[in-house]
Amino acid sequence: MKIHSWENAFLAAGATVLLACGAVLIYTTVVIGIHLPGDHGRIDPAQVTTTPPFDAPGVRQLADGRYEAVVIGRAWSFEPAEIRVPAGVEVVFTATTTDVIHGLNVEGTRLNMMLIPGQISQNSYTFKEPGEYLLICHEYCGLGHHMMAGRVIVEEGTAGVAATSARTDGEVR
Amino acid sequence: MATAEVHVHTPITQPTKKKSVIWDWMTTVDHKKIGILYGVTALFFFIVAGIEATLIRIQLAKPENAFLGPDVYNQIFTMHGTTMIFLVGMPMAVAMFNYIVPLQIGARDVAFPRLNALSYWIFLFGAIFMNFSFLLGAAPNGGWFGYAPLTSTQYGPGLNIDFWALGLQALGVASIMGGVNFVTTIIQLRAPGMRLMRMPLFTWMTLFTSFLLITALPVFAVALFLVTFDRFWATNFFVMQSGGDPMVWQHLFWMFGHPEVYILILPAFGIVSEIIPTFSRKPLFGYAVMVYSGALIALIGWGVWAHHMFASGMGPIADAFFTISTMIIAIPTGVKIFNWIATMWGGRIQFSTAMLHAVGMLITFTIGGVSGVMHATSPHDLQQTDTYFVVAHFHYVLIGGLILAIFGGLYFWFPKLTGRMMNERLGKWQFWIYFIGFNVTFMPQHWIGLLGMPRRIFTYSADLNLASLNMLSTVGVFIQIAGVAMLAGNIIWSARRGRVASENPWNAATLEWATTSPPAEHNFNQIPTVHSREPMWVEADQVRASTLGPMEPHMHMPPNSYWPIFTAVGVVATFILFMTNIWWMPLVGLVWTVIGAINWAYEPV
Repeated sequence: MKIHSWENAFLAAGATVLLACGAVLIYTTVVIGIHLPGDHGRIDPAQVTTTPPFDAPGVRQLADGRYEAVVIGRAWSFEPAEIRVPAGVEVVFTATTTDVIHGLNVEGTRLNMMLIPGQISQNSYTFKEPGEYLLICHEYCGLGHHMMAGRVIVEEGTAGVAATSARTDGEVR
Repeated sequence: MATAEVHVHTPITQPTKKKSVIWDWMTTVDHKKIGILYGVTALFFFIVAGIEATLIRIQLAKPENAFLGPDVYNQIFTMHGTTMIFLVGMPMAVAMFNYIVPLQIGARDVAFPRLNALSYWIFLFGAIFMNFSFLLGAAPNGGWFGYAPLTSTQYGPGLNIDFWALGLQALGVASIMGGVNFVTTIIQLRAPGMRLMRMPLFTWMTLFTSFLLITALPVFAVALFLVTFDRFWATNFFVMQSGGDPMVWQHLFWMFGHPEVYILILPAFGIVSEIIPTFSRKPLFGYAVMVYSGALIALIGWGVWAHHMFASGMGPIADAFFTISTMIIAIPTGVKIFNWIATMWGGRIQFSTAMLHAVGMLITFTIGGVSGVMHATSPHDLQQTDTYFVVAHFHYVLIGGLILAIFGGLYFWFPKLTGRMMNERLGKWQFWIYFIGFNVTFMPQHWIGLLGMPRRIFTYSADLNLASLNMLSTVGVFIQIAGVAMLAGNIIWSARRGRVASENPWNAATLEWATTSPPAEHNFNQIPTVHSREPMWVEADQVRASTLGPMEPHMHMPPNSYWPIFTAVGVVATFILFMTNIWWMPLVGLVWTVIGAINWAYEPV
């Protein structure tokens, strides 16, 4: 097959763009540290509220100093609707749903995952700036989809100090 | 509009017998008439979907608006997406396949004329059935993607999802038949001398699209059957507690859904590949690479589906694979855009209305392509998925890509369809108004999305500070409406009063321009022999000597048949009768279908 020299140039330009995309990909993953949410086990959606850790949704400190936010999504609310975490500490979000597919998205961050019946979704994030973040359902889930929201309140705090010792008037904005 | 074309066609197609015009159109097997039926139906649903879009944008024009209410809003956005894809985009492309491809390859009709009619009638009845749901106030409300388990009877009670699943099932049957018909037509019915690598690009893209229809639609049919069985017969394909998995639906849906994107865009590539060489007065640059890149897009289009599911937690290997494959598919697409630009380079460009649409399409499609590669980068996609950024992206690809190309194709081929030219001055005004309206509507949605507004929400809080951008986007819709109104006016006016067109008014290169405008029922008096890719540029006199010369003595055209429309009633009734919830009722439709098929088989042709 004879390929015109201009077309070779175009193919080369296309390949360059592809390599640039690959470089961006590696940069965002390795340097910026954006990781995609993962599948962290199975759960019976009918038994969510009696299966640990979802029997006690909320924020707790893990043994290694990180925090874990256990969240249940259901039509059309999050439990808990208000999540308080300290700034500067990695927070692992562990979440699932009891009914249809929901999303868990913290606006302005890269936390965005699908909550799928029967699947435990997990992703982690370190909030650097204290403040109030909007937590919304990101996956169309029916009539009340637009109302399904919560808040993440990030409080000024020292790493390693339990969330219970944080100030109660933590709403900064 | 329809009546105008009836006047043009009737004396030619039915010279001796006096029959009712409506009966003639109901029983026609002429690919040109079926093409016009598809086109008129698709334009009608384009207006329906446009009204739905307008309602959506009015609702979202200001925060905390209560214009529609969440229940109605969810029905409207579901039906807007479903209608635009299945009742506008696909049938508009199929309309052009029908009318143009047999002419381009020098054939008298498609390979299976009655099957072609059956496809149309199933499509029409399925479309009416699905939209009938509005009258019951129970239009589909699960999104066009219908993620399980929202489509189960537990979370989606009522008839809404039934209309959606059963209606789409019928439309899918029509599409698969159309695909089979066009693959056979293009492989089997080419004029002597028209080797594969001499086929016009539009015919090539039709061939690839048809292969995608044959392979992708059955996946969707299976998925829809699983939903239907779950809803009517209490199977548990998507129920976690019973060993099913809702993710199965997402994978099946997008395995169909992504090839579907290429089913929609490849015809647009074909149309643009016809318009640009014609009005640049140059052969298409890199013909072979254009063909191969089309084939690559159709092939790789099968390996990118899970890029719709980066937020679902598939794991790093799947995420990486689909990131890379999605970026790779951008290469053949980019090659096409470069080749169109190279075709124009150094050409004597004439900015007719058709050419304006084609060049406009290159710009908007490229913008949509760039935001597409942004989604492909999976970490980046997490910022965008399910936001208005995605809405902006696919409207740039599908409206800025497909619909602009379709409009351009309409201006380009209208003289062939009706024997009259469309008004160029009105057309150019229409192009600019529509193009500006389109960009005013969808450009702000990039920012609306990046600033955090999710898709598919009935309303949003004023705290998001997105009121002015949303208002701007809504204003754009009304500019677009003005453009579409001008297009509709142009079609109606030109069909009656437009300047009379010659056989080849644009001096284009391919065989559809070798016959009269509009063509007679048999298309060509004699089938021409071609020796080049641009017969009407290279060997016009020899070609016209056959196509317009003395009639071939023993020509047999398929007669009208009412069995396609009869059988179509049975096929669609089979699906509709599921809604009776009586297990044997669908069999009534099936028996009807079999009766139609048997009579069809024994009908003398």
